[in-house]
Amino acid sequence: MGDTHETPLASASLEEDDTLESAGEKHGFLPIETNWFDRLFISVVIWVALSLFWFRFVEPLGLSIWISNAIAVVLAIFIVRKG
Amino acid sequence: MQSNRLGWILLAPTLVILFFFGVLPFIYVVYVSFHQWNPFAANPEMIFNGADNFRRIVFDAEFLNSVGVTVAFVFFAVLSELIVGYFLAQAFMKDFPGKAFFRTIHTLPLIMAPIIVGSVWKLMTTPSIGIIPHYLDEWFGITMNIGTSAPAAFATIVIMDVWHWTPLVTLTLIAALVSLPADPFEQAQIDGANSRQIFWHITLPMIMPAVVATVFIRLMDALRTVDEVWMLTGGGPGSATRFVGVHIFKEVFPKTNYGYGSTISVIVLYLTIVACWLLYVTMLAPRNTKED
Repeated sequence: MGDTHETPLASASLEEDDTLESAGEKHGFLPIETNWFDRLFISVVIWVALSLFWFRFVEPLGLSIWISNAIAVVLAIFIVRKG
Repeated sequence: MQSNRLGWILLAPTLVILFFFGVLPFIYVVYVSFHQWNPFAANPEMIFNGADNFRRIVFDAEFLNSVGVTVAFVFFAVLSELIVGYFLAQAFMKDFPGKAFFRTIHTLPLIMAPIIVGSVWKLMTTPSIGIIPHYLDEWFGITMNIGTSAPAAFATIVIMDVWHWTPLVTLTLIAALVSLPADPFEQAQIDGANSRQIFWHITLPMIMPAVVATVFIRLMDALRTVDEVWMLTGGGPGSATRFVGVHIFKEVFPKTNYGYGSTISVIVLYLTIVACWLLYVTMLAPRNTKED
């Protein structure tokens, strides 16, 4: 055990917090604080997951992938603005 | 302003290298994933086929099976490495005769190339000549044959990975443990906390960033394991150890199916990013919010 009072890892984490605060973090309906890039990332992740789900289960029933893309775009706008 | 410009100038070489060796190949793989491309076929042209490769991948039983096998491997290997690595790190925090010697010896697997690790373990586990099946049979009467037994092959690969990569976890955790302040531990001891309470309420929360960073590194590494497995079992018996990396290798090299191979790579990258992000959100984000 060293005799320093703040670990390098803890101070790195605090520095990161300061940076994030200045990057415009906000708390919307998502359970975590996010900036606009986080929300865009979440939207892309959901878009890919929804597309793969659609290919596997919904497209064989005759519904086009473009419906999934439209849903993903609406969802992305909602998440980026309100998330 | 001046320091900002200097910062960008100093970063520029790294960013340029990162762009050419990281970003550009990634964009190219995504581009290829939307094509049918077999450069060694009669028609070596790239043919754009929209999302057909992605349509195919969700019905590809071999790929889905390889994802399941890989997830199981990552779970068992990374968890074992964390537990063993933590106990070794705690052991190396104490003084004992020959500590420096053992600390050096225990890091030796790290410097071995994965292909060498695979071939050494193949020699050790081959039924007729290997030392492990020989002693398992002689001491416990257990017949071990990784060429025919799927559980034995899978377990051997997990053990091999733990042997190879636990030293990395140990070194990271030693660095984290060394940098911990002494005060909270002394105060906890004065308040009468036992060692289990100290571990769960002081040590673990304080080394959590190091643990998560280690899990990130090992998770990403384990998800793209190829060479050790290829050398040891070749993905068999059957598809018992056919991890996604091995599946991509088989798709791209023997079948020269570059388009579909790229699609699998993109999906594996997607799964890796999502897994790491979920891990970060669940393990570090609540902690950062609490510290605010």
